[in-house]
Amino acid sequence: MTSTEIQELILEIIQDIDDEADFSDLDPDQPLRDQLDLDSMDFLDIVMELRKRHKLQIPEEDYPRLATLNSCVSYLTPLLHDA
Amino acid sequence: MKTPLLVIGGGLSGIAAAIRAARFIPDVLLLEKHHRLGGLNSYFYRHGLLFETGLHAITNYAEPRDKKAPLNRLLRQLKLPRDTFNFLPQRQSEILFHGCASLLFSNDFNLFQEEIKRQFPASADNFAALVAFLDGFDPFVIRPFRSTRQFLVERLREPLLQEMLLCPLLYYGSSHSNDIDLSQFAIMFRAIYQEGMFRPGGNIKEFLDTLRNHYLSLGGSLRTGCGVARIVCSGERVERVILADGEELECDYLLSTIGYHETLRLLAESTAAPPAALAGPRLGFIENIYLLKTPPTAPPLSDKTIIFYNKGDTFSYQRPDQPVDFHSGVICLPGNFAQLPPRLHQEIRSTHLASYPLWRQLADDPAAYLAEKQSSSLRSLVELESVLGPFRETILYENNFTPVTIERYTGKLEGAIYGNPAKIKDGDIGYRNLFLAGTDQGFLGIVGAMLSGVSIVNSQILPNL
Repeated sequence: MTSTEIQELILEIIQDIDDEADFSDLDPDQPLRDQLDLDSMDFLDIVMELRKRHKLQIPEEDYPRLATLNSCVSYLTPLLHDA
Repeated sequence: MKTPLLVIGGGLSGIAAAIRAARFIPDVLLLEKHHRLGGLNSYFYRHGLLFETGLHAITNYAEPRDKKAPLNRLLRQLKLPRDTFNFLPQRQSEILFHGCASLLFSNDFNLFQEEIKRQFPASADNFAALVAFLDGFDPFVIRPFRSTRQFLVERLREPLLQEMLLCPLLYYGSSHSNDIDLSQFAIMFRAIYQEGMFRPGGNIKEFLDTLRNHYLSLGGSLRTGCGVARIVCSGERVERVILADGEELECDYLLSTIGYHETLRLLAESTAAPPAALAGPRLGFIENIYLLKTPPTAPPLSDKTIIFYNKGDTFSYQRPDQPVDFHSGVICLPGNFAQLPPRLHQEIRSTHLASYPLWRQLADDPAAYLAEKQSSSLRSLVELESVLGPFRETILYENNFTPVTIERYTGKLEGAIYGNPAKIKDGDIGYRNLFLAGTDQGFLGIVGAMLSGVSIVNSQILPNL
């Protein structure tokens, strides 16, 4: 997957959690949670969807690395390079 | 075949836990002993009519746009779109201390604040400070029990206001005699006074059917009429459960929503820590239902949805030394929700504190038990009429259920709807793959119970699979 594809994947998952999520002003370097009104329960859905869709096992200690859109891309790129 | 997750108990916490897990795990299996789902919030048929149990009103009302509200968070977690349900807000409710004061509240918190200013002007500033404190307080941080009574004595000057504030919150969510844990108080204060109450447009059966169908559509499996006889462990690990009919089911994870001691009884050789110190006896309740002959078009007896009444200025919330304590009670008029389509009959419900041991004793003599049930129904009617005005001439059917009835149908020890007074907030009861959710985890009420199921699946099961 390319960086753009990973970005799209994350946004698609978030859209699925909250179909009213508004990405127009999203800053890729700021925490997703604050910008999109996600709480820790919603955040777990991102992890679980990645697992369901791409068989990715993300350990709990790595959750902070999914904080921003850009950090998601850098964390997931090596994990999804064959996807 | 080994089941990845078995959930014991098809009440609302078990259903919610099973739905949450089934979104991400295949082959989740939910077991319910009764032939119907719902646990404490279920239904039965008499005279060809459906009667609801448990449900008066659901707390935690929130508008769809309020994304962070517990109700909307819960629906997102279950992937149930809000418009699946037709939620109807309450009209207005009341805390009525006969001979002392009355406070109205609704789903607009301003009304309650104004009422307090009007009735308790000397405490207005203290109440505002209390609200500010609660707004900044995180009730989900796990802390030891802290007495709300003591807290309120320090914060509010007028004892009557303390009693009146506590009455609905204890009735709708305290497993403790005469008190409530401060964290639970903060949750309930928000759930009842700041957010408010509602109910689904249809009856509880339709609500449960919606949840069940959603669960099945996610690939989950369900067995009703399926009691668990034993949980078999090897050390701190559950290996399998043995059903009442002898069938054995292996599982990776087991989630029990049936209560802490109820779960321990299923553990053959328990290695769990001894029960947390009991903070007094379990609390039992009696529920009376009166169905009226008056047509749905007739004006209702009251415009209130729920009335919490108490006689005198001191509210006692404890196991009575009589079968039923009529000094206080909860009166519910299930017709008084906004936009509720007219029903065939008007209905009035009442709840009072009741003594399980005394009802248990009576149950040994069926004639005496029945006579006490009937006299309790009549006695409750006296209290209802003193609030609502006379209506006994119009009663078509009446029915009531005691703590013994509740124990029989729900398996809750002593029929205690709020369970063990001490709670296990992280769901950890000393096993590596067995966790507790529901009543004894500590979130109460329908939204609370469902969030309990979801949060224990989120914290103890999903990250470890």
